[in-house]
Amino acid sequence: MIVIGLLAGIVTGGVAYFIPWLPDQASTQAEEIDGVYWFVAIICAVVFSLVAGVSIYAGWKFRAPADDMDDGSPIHGHTGLEIWWTAVPTVLVVAMSVWSAVALARAETLPDDPDEYTTIEVTAAQFAWSFTYPELERTDGELVLRVNEPVELILTANDVIHAFWVPEFRMKQDAVPGIETRTVITPTKEGSYDVICTELCGPGHPVMRAGVRVLSDADYEAWVAEGEQGAGEGGEGEADGESVFAEAGCGSCHTLADAGSEAEIGPDLDSVVPGQEEQQILTSIVDPNAEISEGYQPNVMPGDYEDRLSEAELDALVAYLVEVAGARR
Amino acid sequence: MSTVAHAETHGHDHHGPPPANVSSRVDSRLLGIYIFIASEIMLFGSFFTALFFARVIVAPEAWPPEGFHLPVYLALVNTIILVTSSFTMHWALQSIKRNYRAGLIAGLTLTFLLGLTFLLIQAREYSRIGFGPDANAFASTFFGLTGLHGAHVFVGLSLLAFALVRSIRGHFGPDAHDHLGVEIPGIYWHFVDVMWIIVYMTVYVL
Amino acid sequence: MSATLHAPAPRRTGIRRWTAGGWLRALWTTPLAFLLATGLVAGARAALGYEPLLAQQPYITTLMVMVPIGFLAGIGAFDYWARYVSGRPTIPDDHASHGAHSWKDYFKVNTDHKVIGTQYVVTTVVFFIVAGLLAMFMRAELAEPGMQYVDPQAYNGLFSVHASLMIFLFIIPAFAGLGNYVIPLMIGAPDMAFPRLNALSFWLLPIAGLMMLSSYFIGAFGAGWTNYAPLAVQQPDGNLMFQMGVQWAGASSIMTALNFLVTIITMRAPGMTFWRMPLLVWANFATSTLVVIATPFVAGSQFFILFDRVLHTNFFDPGGGGYVIAYQHIFWFYSHPAVYIMMLPGFGIVSEVISVFARKPIFGYRLMALSLMAILILGFSVWAHHMFVSGMADWLRVPMMVTTMVIAVPTGIKVFSWLATLWEGRIHFKTPMLFALGFVSMFVIGGLSGVYLGSVPIDIHVSDTYFVVAHIHYVLFGGSLFTIYAGFYYWFPKMTGRMYNETLGKIHFWLTFVGFNATFFPMHWIGTRGMPRRVADYDPMFGNWNMAISIASFALGASTLVFLYNMIVSWRRGEPAPSNPWRALTLEWQVSSPPPIFNFDEIPQVVGSPYEYGVRGARHAILNGKPVQEGREAAPMEETVP
Ligand code: HEA
Ligand code: HEA
Ligand code: HEC
Ligand code: CUA
Ligand SMILES: [Cu+2]
Repeated sequence: MIVIGLLAGIVTGGVAYFIPWLPDQASTQAEEIDGVYWFVAIICAVVFSLVAGVSIYAGWKFRAPADDMDDGSPIHGHTGLEIWWTAVPTVLVVAMSVWSAVALARAETLPDDPDEYTTIEVTAAQFAWSFTYPELERTDGELVLRVNEPVELILTANDVIHAFWVPEFRMKQDAVPGIETRTVITPTKEGSYDVICTELCGPGHPVMRAGVRVLSDADYEAWVAEGEQGAGEGGEGEADGESVFAEAGCGSCHTLADAGSEAEIGPDLDSVVPGQEEQQILTSIVDPNAEISEGYQPNVMPGDYEDRLSEAELDALVAYLVEVAGARR
Repeated sequence: MSTVAHAETHGHDHHGPPPANVSSRVDSRLLGIYIFIASEIMLFGSFFTALFFARVIVAPEAWPPEGFHLPVYLALVNTIILVTSSFTMHWALQSIKRNYRAGLIAGLTLTFLLGLTFLLIQAREYSRIGFGPDANAFASTFFGLTGLHGAHVFVGLSLLAFALVRSIRGHFGPDAHDHLGVEIPGIYWHFVDVMWIIVYMTVYVL
Repeated sequence: MSATLHAPAPRRTGIRRWTAGGWLRALWTTPLAFLLATGLVAGARAALGYEPLLAQQPYITTLMVMVPIGFLAGIGAFDYWARYVSGRPTIPDDHASHGAHSWKDYFKVNTDHKVIGTQYVVTTVVFFIVAGLLAMFMRAELAEPGMQYVDPQAYNGLFSVHASLMIFLFIIPAFAGLGNYVIPLMIGAPDMAFPRLNALSFWLLPIAGLMMLSSYFIGAFGAGWTNYAPLAVQQPDGNLMFQMGVQWAGASSIMTALNFLVTIITMRAPGMTFWRMPLLVWANFATSTLVVIATPFVAGSQFFILFDRVLHTNFFDPGGGGYVIAYQHIFWFYSHPAVYIMMLPGFGIVSEVISVFARKPIFGYRLMALSLMAILILGFSVWAHHMFVSGMADWLRVPMMVTTMVIAVPTGIKVFSWLATLWEGRIHFKTPMLFALGFVSMFVIGGLSGVYLGSVPIDIHVSDTYFVVAHIHYVLFGGSLFTIYAGFYYWFPKMTGRMYNETLGKIHFWLTFVGFNATFFPMHWIGTRGMPRRVADYDPMFGNWNMAISIASFALGASTLVFLYNMIVSWRRGEPAPSNPWRALTLEWQVSSPPPIFNFDEIPQVVGSPYEYGVRGARHAILNGKPVQEGREAAPMEETVP
């Protein structure tokens, strides 16, 4: 009995120890969460070993021969035991709740002094992320953070619910249309990670990702400087079709060699766009349901690009498509 | 409708099931309608929940939003009509308990007509209210709750019509088992009534 | 038995064949309803001047209300009531629609709870196979990263329909079917309280199922079985099929639950107090209460989506003052209790099986019944654990976490009591027992992963990943489905009058057990490592694991073939079953296999607990003058009880 229990314990323990269960730890939140994770894991491993051990042992010890016509001992209950197996799980459950609540509170705390953290606005739309850095007056398709500086992310969505998740940071938060939600991250490890959308948001959901870079102080300053320069150069109103294509998430559904995208949810733009009128392409983008390409379904391509993109951006996008589509051939 | 019933009506020399043991003092059909009403209350509950979110969570101040008015007094008239119909329903049931068939028929007819008036007034209210369910969340919850209730009035009216037809055809009697066909629509009707008072209070008054 | 006394109704001839309730009548009432609905909408739209006249959604919605009603009226589900309410004399019940005399009777409206139970079980197994095959397509697509066979929207359609069928057309109604068959027998009643309502609630099921499946013709719904707004509003028109399918399945569920409650409360045999009811009856009592109270919320949630789609209301449209998260609160207020709707009857089945095959009284009977009630009540206070990262009010998280975790306590009581029931028993490893024991440890894995999810910080990391998918399948497959298999094998002799093949049963168990763990255990790992759920394409780093999972899942699917083969062949050619092959005490085993049409010639007198195995002289009931004692048949008659 004890042997089986121990064996089951060792197996579960081994499984738990030798497989890298969790992704890299790259934020203080990850440390908090992993702490709870292993605490709960140990309790659960013990509980499971107990249950599996007892049932295997009982199955082996009390097995009856096929032709056995006897009954077992008529035990109806045992108050002492019943009290124990009510009380012990209650205590364990309370312990897990308390630890979880504490870890949650610690993971979500920001420094009191607003200078010690930054705020970044995250906007999700089918099927792209955009990050606005209010202090830098900058919007980008990539999340750039300074190592060891807490950030508060304020999330919202334009169309349907999306969710922001970076496994290495362990933090996840839905971005909901109509309201603002919030999460906190203090990155601790430089490197590149992925933002993964984890809330089903339509056909582009699997590919709705964005990059995260955690930079050292020096690199971060360089990135800030580069941004200021870029803003100076680009000037007002002028839109660049290539970046519109990237930021609007077209690449998550369409193949376009020039943009390096290979998705197959919508038609391959390299093969369908050449030969089309500009007006026709524009209509396909602003009112995708006006004409459904053969073999595709309506309502797949988002219908709100007219609201999301400015006129200049749309023009640039169409011009870009006319120019580069067909590059593969 | 139940085994109990058909065992009674033709339990004679007929190889049917043995009559089931009756293990509760409550009649199975009455219990059935009460459980059904519990379920109905929860359905209304989900609509009230939607109202709660739209009103309390999203728009605590602007409710109803500017430019939207509900005919509170007309609905009050409607409320009075419906409440009256509960009394006529009660009278119908009491009549048959005293084996006073004319009272039963008159009571059911009155109840039916009052209920119908209620529905007609509501239909008129809908057509003149000046906004449709697609206007905003206020309009959606308004039409949602009153529409759901209206559908229940409609079901209640159908039940009343059935009972009325049967009473005209001479069914029902003073025995406890003989007027379940009036009592059950009655219970449902009272439920529809009470539910309207709640809908009225939350949608129009508060 | 009484089959000879109850000849089937005389064959109808001539025009009567087309006007009497049945498939022939349905053949014209269904299209009639179709035309009526189309005309109604077209007329209304023309009269009110709505543009365009042929907008699809209003038609589809109306059709999906009226065509099923036309069909039901056609096959005769309403005949009795139609006569009743119009005050015409009801047809004196010749019981022609009661009991099955040939296989054809299973395709008719039948009021016998045993026929209905069988109809339920067979129908739900069919939907299980369909839903399982959809899962096979998913696994084929997921075997390698990148897109191979389907496009992403089609993939979304696959898992949405997979889950909807599994939940609404398999697990929930399969339990209702088993309950339908055995509950009246177990409590010593001749039938359910409302046999005609019972028949109606069965016939709603195929309607709901076909509706969900036929969504493939107009663009399958791909917003998951949770159908979150506002994505649901954006979906192709097939989404309407989900909404209406849920309404029909939900109505069926509520009717059955109401029927169970009334039957259990008012039709127990004399002497069958609540504390003498078998735990399966207790479990269905608790479940039915949950269904009656919670199911209207899912109906409500789907009505709102329907209105948002068809009438363009603003329940969940933030642009018009709606609130997106309201949907989730309403949905989960049903759907968390729903997971207990999908588990509590299984707890009941396992209690029966373990007690019988360990030949011991169930340990701590009263606490077992009370813990069911505790789960029922707690189950209503935890819905927001599905919404920890949804952006709902922050303060709700910690209280919901605590209530969620507390559910481990009553559930633990049940698990430990089953283990204690095994202790010092004389355990017979028949197939139902294997599934019951497999269930105990597999469900504990699922329950424990539930505790992980219940902890807010852990859930923040693993929510909406394959960790949740693993949890789902450990509780629903390793939990509910294992208990359903246990129930199928356990009552197979009673329902069919034949024994299943024990060797094949054991092979089925072991293949399923191994295949199941190989398929779903690794999902915990890929989930925590970073693979989100509901994706058709994923990071290549998970390629190998997904390939392994897919291969295991095909083996798991193939193991189902053993089950199907065993069931079909044994039903037709198995050894005839004795009335009580398991030497069980509960009442359903005291009548022949299959039971006589009216269950009992005489209502039994219950005199003791249903689980008194090994207790000298204890009896559960007296049936036709014979005490039912210690699981052995034909004990000599003793004194009669007052
Ligand atoms: C049969 C169905 C079933 C059952 C019984 C359960 C049971 C439980 N579930 Fe599960 N759950 C689902 C079906 C089910 N679940 C489904 C389908 C989803 C996904 C929905 C979707 O999004 O699609 C889900 C999702 C889900 C979530 C949301 C995850 C997310 O989306 O982020 C959570 C979070 O708390 C959760 C928790 C629990 C808990 C705590 C239990 C508890 O009831 C478990 C209790 C049991 C035990 C704990 C084991 C036995 C106890 C002991 C041996 C005693 C000792 C134990 C301790 C001291 C810990 N479940
Ligand atoms: C009772 C519930 C139940 C059951 C039994 C199953 C059974 C299975 N499920 Fe399902 N599943 C859910 C309920 C269930 N599932 C739910 C609620 C979700 C969430 C959906 C959502 O996100 O909205 C889900 C989601 C889900 C996913 C995640 C999809 C995603 O997030 O992208 C996956 C992926 O692998 C999966 C796989 C399987 C497999 C392989 C089986 C297998 O066990 C099936 C085995 C059965 C058969 C195969 C059928 C019968 C077999 C034959 C007729 C033999 C012939 C076949 C062959 C030889 C291949 N399921
Ligand atoms: C969710 C996936 C998705 C996204 C994101 C998306 N599209 Fe599409 N697109 C489709 C689908 C599916 C079709 C085919 C159905 C149709 O015609 O509406 C399509 C059709 C088109 C067509 C018409 C092709 C033809 O056959 O003539 C053009 C042009 C186009 N998209 C451009 C874009 C551009 C530019 C963007 C980004 C601003 C974009 N799409 C974003 C899915 C998408
Ligand atoms: Cu955005 Cu999934
Ligand atoms: Cu839950």
